[in-house]
Amino acid sequence: MVLNGGTDVVIQLRDRLINPEYVVDIKRIPGLDELRFSKEEGLHIGACVNMNRLGGDENVRTYYPFLANAALSVGSKQVRNRATCAGNLINASPLADTSTPLLCLEAVLEVEGPDGKREIPINEFFVFVRKTTLQKDEIVTGIRVPYYEGAEGIFTKVSRRNKVDLSTVCSTVMKYAGQYRAAFGSVAPTPRRLPKTEACLNEGPLDDARIDRAVELALSEVSPIDDVRASKQYRLDVVAMALRRGLESLG
Amino acid sequence: MKYHVHFYVNGDAYDLDVPANKTMLDVLRDDLFLTGTKEGCGAGECGACTVIVDDVPLNACLVLAPELDGVHITTVEGLSDGPKLSPLQQSFIKHGALQCGFCTPGFLMSATALLNENPHPTREEIIDSISGNLCRCTGYKRIVEAIEEIAARGQTAETQE
Ligand SMILES: Cc1cc2nc3c(=O)[nH]c(=O)nc-3n(C[C@@H](O)[C@@H](O)[C@H](O)COP(=O)(O)OP(=O)(O)OC[C@H]3O[C@@H](n4cnc5c(N)ncnc54)[C@H](O)[C@@H]3O)c2cc1C
Ligand code: FES
Ligand code: FES
Repeated sequence: MVLNGGTDVVIQLRDRLINPEYVVDIKRIPGLDELRFSKEEGLHIGACVNMNRLGGDENVRTYYPFLANAALSVGSKQVRNRATCAGNLINASPLADTSTPLLCLEAVLEVEGPDGKREIPINEFFVFVRKTTLQKDEIVTGIRVPYYEGAEGIFTKVSRRNKVDLSTVCSTVMKYAGQYRAAFGSVAPTPRRLPKTEACLNEGPLDDARIDRAVELALSEVSPIDDVRASKQYRLDVVAMALRRGLESLG
Repeated sequence: MKYHVHFYVNGDAYDLDVPANKTMLDVLRDDLFLTGTKEGCGAGECGACTVIVDDVPLNACLVLAPELDGVHITTVEGLSDGPKLSPLQQSFIKHGALQCGFCTPGFLMSATALLNENPHPTREEIIDSISGNLCRCTGYKRIVEAIEEIAARGQTAETQE
């Protein structure tokens, strides 16, 4: 079992949800804490970069502000000093807050294992609740995020409490070169893009009728459940609200 | 299996052999008898276990004992200079920012970490920095006011060093 920031692993150990023979701390492997940006190569988020560092980074705040907002919405300051962005994706909770901006940004996970290196596009990464296409003997070394000149995005998190709470629904709506992308978390077994909704939005100019149609499609593309945080109906209403407001403010 | 760790708490060096299934919080409380740091939830939710590790606040309940190797920790015991309390601790008393006191060490450590990094935080920054700490009896108003007084004075929160 790989140990990164441990904010999921230590709790799973404590609750005896996992019983690994070995726990391998990767935080002191040189290079895994690198965070760098250039317009040519985009953003590289090393596997051990924590949420406060990601969300506070000047380049991330400038070029990927909705990713910064998502990172800073995770837990508390104490948790964010430990929790990593890579761990957030690999843990594969349906509500992982950094998943929706990274889905819209079409990030790529850089993976290394006994057979060498490979890359997994984020839209092929999540399989089911807590299941990914990462193999047991592989580790993620970093996340690569392309640079999109002039892209804008809105990250929305709705939770029961203002701070330090898990998302009831989280989402990102992004606009790049006149095209829209939308991803939602906590409304299906995995965080996901909404391809039909996006296709509708990208067919023609954004007017009220198109927004109505897109919201209707979005509701058909998610399958939320009732749980301790909210009912299915509440989540559907939040999906409609977050998409509508996101589109209206991106214009 | 035990792991040898060498680390510092409030400036004192320690060498210990720790099992992998203990947390930093267990080591501080059960092995070093530094019981100022509290265990509320044991799950990163309440902040009662907050300590400053290499200048940043962490939940000691979420760190495994072998990770102690090489780190510098400040606990609430390290805030005062003998009987002389830090300005922030005195301000908590002055403002009545505690009742049962269980959450207080955690709040003090979160606020100390903030003031060390930024001696003049705004009210918003103060609230953000303590949002990972829960208090179930005092309420947050007096705690915020106690921190604000030190922020206004721009005094460092710690007496030591
Ligand atoms: C109090 C609290 C509040 C929280 N609030 C939020 C919230 O608001 N939003 C949210 O999305 N999450 C929240 N979380 C969960 C969040 O902290 C985690 O999902 C975190 O981002 C995981 O990163 P980590 O570095 O701590 O991972 P770890 O716990 O170390 O690891 C998580 C999983 O990923 C694997 N792993 C990690 N890194 C690698 C790697 N490089 N290669 C291979 N496998 C790896 C581990 O083996 C494990 O299965 C919260 C957690 C706590 C305790
Ligand atoms: S005991 Fe660590 S956060 Fe509650
Ligand atoms: S003073 Fe009792 S919990 Fe805060």
